[in-house]
Amino acid sequence: MLEIKDLHATVAGKEILKGVNLVINAGETHAIMGPNGAGKSTLSYVICGREGYEVTAGSVIFKGKNLLAMTPDERAGAGLFLGFQYPVEIPGVSNMNFLRTAVNSQRRYRGQDNMAAGDFLKLVRLKAKELDMDPDMLKRPVNVGFSGGEKKRNEMVQMAVLDPVLAVLDETDSGLDIDALKIVAAGINRLRSPDKSILMITHYQRLLDYVVPDFVHVLAAGRIVKTGDKTLALQLEEKGYAGLNIAENAA
Amino acid sequence: MKLYLDNPEIAVNFEAVKAVLPGADQDRLNDRRRHAITSFSETGIPGPRLEQWKYTNLSFLAKENYPIAAKAEQSDEIRQYFDQSYITAIAGPVVVFVNGYFYPDLSSLPTEQGLDFSVFSQNPEAFYQSLQPSAGSSSLNNLNRALVTDGYDISIAADVTLSQPLQIIHIATSGTNMQSVRSRARIKFGQRSQATIIESFIGADDTRYWFHMVSDVILDRGATAAFAQFQVQGKKALHMTEFHSRLSDHARFNHVSLQLGAELDRSELINSFSGEDADISLSGAYLGRLKQSHDIVTRINHDQPHCRSRQLFRGVLDKGGKSAFQGKVVVARDAQKTNADQSNKTLLLDRGAVANAKPELLIYADDVKCSHGATVGEVDPDQLFYLRSRGLDEIAAKGLLTEAFVSEVFDDLEAGPVAEKFRKYTADWLRKEEMS
Repeated sequence: MLEIKDLHATVAGKEILKGVNLVINAGETHAIMGPNGAGKSTLSYVICGREGYEVTAGSVIFKGKNLLAMTPDERAGAGLFLGFQYPVEIPGVSNMNFLRTAVNSQRRYRGQDNMAAGDFLKLVRLKAKELDMDPDMLKRPVNVGFSGGEKKRNEMVQMAVLDPVLAVLDETDSGLDIDALKIVAAGINRLRSPDKSILMITHYQRLLDYVVPDFVHVLAAGRIVKTGDKTLALQLEEKGYAGLNIAENAA
Repeated sequence: MKLYLDNPEIAVNFEAVKAVLPGADQDRLNDRRRHAITSFSETGIPGPRLEQWKYTNLSFLAKENYPIAAKAEQSDEIRQYFDQSYITAIAGPVVVFVNGYFYPDLSSLPTEQGLDFSVFSQNPEAFYQSLQPSAGSSSLNNLNRALVTDGYDISIAADVTLSQPLQIIHIATSGTNMQSVRSRARIKFGQRSQATIIESFIGADDTRYWFHMVSDVILDRGATAAFAQFQVQGKKALHMTEFHSRLSDHARFNHVSLQLGAELDRSELINSFSGEDADISLSGAYLGRLKQSHDIVTRINHDQPHCRSRQLFRGVLDKGGKSAFQGKVVVARDAQKTNADQSNKTLLLDRGAVANAKPELLIYADDVKCSHGATVGEVDPDQLFYLRSRGLDEIAAKGLLTEAFVSEVFDDLEAGPVAEKFRKYTADWLRKEEMS
């Protein structure tokens, strides 16, 4: 599904990723943890093609294609989804209009016709309900006036509607209270299937109690320094990065 | 340095055409036209050294002459502009002017009780009144009085609420190249009357015509007036309008406009209060590209206490587009408790576009609330990436953000055919950009 080899990337001339290697197979759920400044968000932005993140070496292959040669929208069309740590507010664009445009843009990319209006409405309402989102929020401008938790929930509604094959979730758990966390986790678990993969970036083990990963990686100073199963996250929670001989601020 | 530019040909041309101007059989009308051309000739064409005209250079009018356009024959072209402009979802009365002349074939005059409507060419008295000189008239207003061919007069009786909006459509055909089209309007809202007037300005692409119109609107005590204007002139047109409003106690005046046509576009909105507790709201969007220039000039004279004014203008400029927003608010010494708000933002889609913003607040009273804000900026990169990460390509993402930016102007409009028309024109403009 996703194969990252010796990935180096700089932001404003400063090297943040210093040789990341990571393979995610179909059906797998991976979690990346790591101290602040390790390069976790940078990795997610490089995968999704944000401007200002320059890849200086290495490769990222997604479903056999060179991901780095694609624009952000082509990546989305190919089935990639980024759950933002800080979802962006877009005044003047309703959630519904935004979602409809996104769905149909991706369908065009895949050579499909626009979704019928009725089907789309039904789909969005269902997904909003599954994620316990007030249907009125669908009519409101994207993320404008939403609380931190509502924004994250909105990300999950988008993910559910867009139905990606690989979801990269950047601290989707931050800003959520425990009830919201359970709802969001259920949303992520609904996406899990043998042909889909998830990459979760998180600070805390808490989310991993509800979305149990197949692999846990520790990213520090721009490299993956340790890989294990879910018990690695528990060790980290218990002993901290220092306890596992991982420098807090290596970057 | 000269502030005004001379073009002696204009007065010469006036002498040549005065005998064939509409209403030339009436001496008192001729006298007023003569008075107007004299007043005009005393000053001339406003030059770029005049502060108000620094963003719109009319120097070419000192050399180019725009003789009065002729009446047009029936044509598919006219029908097409009509169909594009007439909002069928509203239906109702519509008044059409083609090349500056009332065009009865496509018009259906209002007949509602309490509404007195006439076109100048059929109402000599109203025509005569509309040519009345007024102190402080602009030179182009004087030129308009001298040469105007037709226009309309509306008077709404006290306590009448019109059941349907009135639509007015001004068309300039492809036969008007290097010619001028002039119109005037006088509109009087009686006490507590209410009406909506929708006005469209449309014309042939690849035809350089000079459209000029002056409107005078008076609102009596407690009247409510709503104006919606669509400027979708041809790509090479010169479009200039002067819109005056005067509000009595408790009156409400709402003017919303969309400017997306013409090569040179100048829209002046000049407003004042003659009574207390009245409201003025001006809002508009201007969209420009490819050698287009939009110049929006607003003036609000707060001469009376306890009045409110609100201005909201949004511009979008693509490659080659130019704009200016000059918004002046004057609060007189006695106009206490004035509340005046002004906001102007312009979005640049291309680094080569030029936006000017000139807010001017002159406040002589001490117990007032006045604010203004002006920004010029580009599409927000975070918003752009967010949309692209969801699958929208760059053009679609920018289009959606641009539409959202402009939509603030139309958000206050009641949902319905007028708001839809604004949105459709805007969306069409943005789609054209995709192809260019």
